[in-house]
Amino acid sequence: MATDRSRRRTWTLSVAALATLVILYLTTGVASGLRSGANLVVSPFSWAVNEIARPVGHFFAGTVNYSDVVAQNQKLRFQLGEAEERANQGWAYARQLQQLTTELNVPFVGSLPTVAAQVTTLSPTNFAATVDISKGRDSGILVGMPVVANGGLIGSVIGTTPHGATVRLITDTASLVGVTFNAGKTDIVVSGRGLNSGLSASSVPLGTSIVQGTKLSTDGLNGGLFPAGLPVATVKTVTLTPGAATYNLTLQPAADLRHLTYVDVVLWEPSS
Amino acid sequence: MRRLLIPVTLVTLLIVAIQLSVFSSLRFAGVVIMIVWLWPLAMGLAGLTALALWSAVIAGIFFDTHTTTPFGLTAVVALALAYGASRLGREGVGDLESAAWWVTPLIAGGAGLLAPPLFVGASFFTLNFSLWRDSLLAAMVVNAVAFFLLARPMTRLARWVGSFGGSRR
Repeated sequence: MATDRSRRRTWTLSVAALATLVILYLTTGVASGLRSGANLVVSPFSWAVNEIARPVGHFFAGTVNYSDVVAQNQKLRFQLGEAEERANQGWAYARQLQQLTTELNVPFVGSLPTVAAQVTTLSPTNFAATVDISKGRDSGILVGMPVVANGGLIGSVIGTTPHGATVRLITDTASLVGVTFNAGKTDIVVSGRGLNSGLSASSVPLGTSIVQGTKLSTDGLNGGLFPAGLPVATVKTVTLTPGAATYNLTLQPAADLRHLTYVDVVLWEPSS
Repeated sequence: MRRLLIPVTLVTLLIVAIQLSVFSSLRFAGVVIMIVWLWPLAMGLAGLTALALWSAVIAGIFFDTHTTTPFGLTAVVALALAYGASRLGREGVGDLESAAWWVTPLIAGGAGLLAPPLFVGASFFTLNFSLWRDSLLAAMVVNAVAFFLLARPMTRLARWVGSFGGSRR
């Protein structure tokens, strides 16, 4: 009997301690403080070890992926040629569009300043889709700024240091992007499904004109997190669950997120 | 134990650096193999209970400073694996010499299968309910296979590091 009581007391105390820890963790910024402290202490050592281990990593990655790299290089050269041709054809249209959007008082990324940065690290875990880039606060990069590359929006800045920043990709499970299509008549929210799983959207009203291949771009709504007109994704599949009142979409990101080398940070803040 | 703290800490830091520089860029089916979880597990299977828990904390905390997932989650999972493995290790279940050759890899494979859902489950305590959405099944399978293959060399390394102290337990 006494054993039962003491066991019950131990369980109660354990649950209470766990609940207290969770509340402290969530409310008092303990995690943030610990993270900063640990990062500060370990960063010089981690940097040194990293500098030694990185060439080993490059050696293995190069050995395994060499033929892919060669094939990719050829493909990129071809695509670069095509892109240059399109750029030459499209400059007049771009100028006209910029003039029109300025007149309509809609922010257009072409007129916004950008900072080019190199991708230094891909997320080291399976549970977050992020990349680290080589420019930070000293280059004017702030938390919340959108980041574009490879023909579309790739994410937004979630953390900065003087010489670096962390970008949460649009495919991260915590990412939400407001997009528009159907000539600006329909706005929906696109959410990430993880680095390997692309994007999805739900609650798309029935009767909306949406088909496979429809392109979605940021809506730029007042108070939104992104300026208008950044390409986000293309519709891959449209599904309708029997009895449901809305479509579900699976989407292919407009930017190739698997081969990020250089990115442009758009110097635009959500509040601006 | 005190004499082993420094070598174990150094090897753990090296494991974290290899994780960040090599394994994080060398993805299989888009999945990262988490050797920061395998190392404390191997230490546990080698019967080095306290050092396994220590290496779990060090590996987890160091790794967590480089990710955007809730801070401390990797360490919590590493601690759970290290504790479980050290219970088996103390009974000699994962012992490389006395047990059948497949026992250690099988235990490690099971741990690799269990670790990702454990991570997602632990994230619920931080009110983060979105981590399950990524390819959890792929992460489980790839880590199980990798842990199975890497278990013996990693446990051998753990025993070698443990031999600096003069005795195993």
